[in-house]
Amino acid sequence: METGWTWLLISTLCFLGGFAYVAISLRTGRYHPSPLNLCIMAVGFVAQCLFLGERGQAVGRCPITNPFEILVFVSWSAVLLYFVLGRAFRLSLMGAFTAPLVSFFQLVSLPFLRDVPEYRPADDYWLEMHASISLLAYGAFALACIAGVMFLVQDSLLKRAKLQELSYNLPPVTNLSKAITRLVGIGLALLTVGIASGFGTKTPPTGIHLFLSVCVWAAYAILIGLRFTRGLSSRLSARLSLGVFILPVITLMMLDH
Amino acid sequence: MNLICLGISHHTAPVDVRERLAFSESDLPNALGEIASTKGINEVVVLSTCNRVETYAVADHAGKGLDVLESYLRNHFGLASSLNLPFFRKSDRDSALHLFRVASGLESMVLGETEIFGQVKKAYASAQSVGTTSRTLNKLFQQSFSVGKFIRNQTQIQRGSTSVGSVAVDLAEKVFGELKRCRVMIIGAGDMSRTVAQSLLSRGAKSVIVSNRSFDRAEELANEIGGEAIRFDDWESRITKTDIVIASTSAPHTIMKPDAVSDAMRLRRGRPLIIIDIAVPRDVEPEVADLADVYLYPIDSLSQIAGRARKQREAQIRQCEELLVSYVDDKGIPALEAPRADFGGADPSKAM
Repeated sequence: METGWTWLLISTLCFLGGFAYVAISLRTGRYHPSPLNLCIMAVGFVAQCLFLGERGQAVGRCPITNPFEILVFVSWSAVLLYFVLGRAFRLSLMGAFTAPLVSFFQLVSLPFLRDVPEYRPADDYWLEMHASISLLAYGAFALACIAGVMFLVQDSLLKRAKLQELSYNLPPVTNLSKAITRLVGIGLALLTVGIASGFGTKTPPTGIHLFLSVCVWAAYAILIGLRFTRGLSSRLSARLSLGVFILPVITLMMLDH
Repeated sequence: MNLICLGISHHTAPVDVRERLAFSESDLPNALGEIASTKGINEVVVLSTCNRVETYAVADHAGKGLDVLESYLRNHFGLASSLNLPFFRKSDRDSALHLFRVASGLESMVLGETEIFGQVKKAYASAQSVGTTSRTLNKLFQQSFSVGKFIRNQTQIQRGSTSVGSVAVDLAEKVFGELKRCRVMIIGAGDMSRTVAQSLLSRGAKSVIVSNRSFDRAEELANEIGGEAIRFDDWESRITKTDIVIASTSAPHTIMKPDAVSDAMRLRRGRPLIIIDIAVPRDVEPEVADLADVYLYPIDSLSQIAGRARKQREAQIRQCEELLVSYVDDKGIPALEAPRADFGGADPSKAM
């Protein structure tokens, strides 16, 4: 019998539904920021938590034991950060942009998570901390990538003086630009802690694992550094936050679980 | 008992007529008291704005009540009874529906504008404060606020800006969010640049710098709008600290080149710059628009946005009308219902 799979299915359907609701209402010109979409996202998030909770109990550790669990964990981190940061920055509609990425990650994972996972209780708490904090950092980078997409859409509409339904509902470019910088900064801080805690594990990271992690850290550190020291343009920052996100994705795919 | 409404608006009367019937804020409480103490009038609210003067009242008889209101307005403003004034007269359901349309912005000169909603609220509050409203008008005006909110929430009637100044504000807010930290610079002190700058200031822009070939004219405009005047040769050095530039010189060639703006952008460290080019011929090279974080808007694009918004609002009227009718069919008009079952009496047109 699958472990928590139904919760994952419910969660995926919620995010897909939330995205469809906003996409249709924007297309028909009837979009109004409403609690309904937030509720759908919240139900999706609760279902994610229940899935990860049940899965975690089944494996006896943080449920990040295969690439698909990791995709769900990164999705969960992105939604968590959206609730914590997105709403604090008053980035309405960010949920709508987060939903398709999260839905995609979870749809890819759904067929592979119907199994009963092997019980492998944690024997190295530094490793658990290293992995979970690093993935939380990747969640922040995912959200920075989403904010980057939102920036580029809004920037393009404003450059062409297209004040339309989508433009009215997207946040100002200045807010999006600040959100990108802050999310990359938060992700970088978390990743620094994640990498550092990796050296406390019984088998400290070496080889390709260490190389890829350092590449991800360096790429985002350069982005932030250029932003603060050379006044990197907001448009280029958004493009980089989008392009550089490929690195964490590659890293996740290449990790030895 | 009848609910009645008598008034004039921009639909029926030009400004030189409307201004003769406008109540001043200080005059209104006395006027309300005088109307309410007239025989046959039980409750009254007066809505007096630059586009309309409307009197809503509860009268013993519709026709007589409307005559009383018209006579009061003529006497109060010293207008001869022979003078033809284009008053509209409505009673009962028509009066209520008219108020709902007014509160929803459907009777406004700029369709869907929100200012009228506040003006209706203020008119009602004034009448309440002097005690000229009771059960009927209280219920009616409370419902008009609900209807106004409902129509605006369910439609796009207030969406989009319909003037060049408000389009500039909208664009600036989509770039910067709040404008309270934004510095504005006017290059070329013309009427249109003053209008746009005033729109930005009214939405909280922090400061304005005026630069003009004639320094006297720059000072004059700066004094008028509470800004700082600078010499024309100095505007380039100030652009790095400016967020919104309004260019409207009468120069026969462009004055703002991509290289100069690019240099300024380097010093701005990623902070966006909006350039509104009102001048004809243009003041800003079109290639400036290609620079990252620079948003260039020639006058034509602002006018087009305003024009599109006006058309969209007009297209929304039918939807609003249908919503209004279905809302009233669904909820009714409690102000006209029991215990005053005698509403809906005389036809006011017969009394005209």
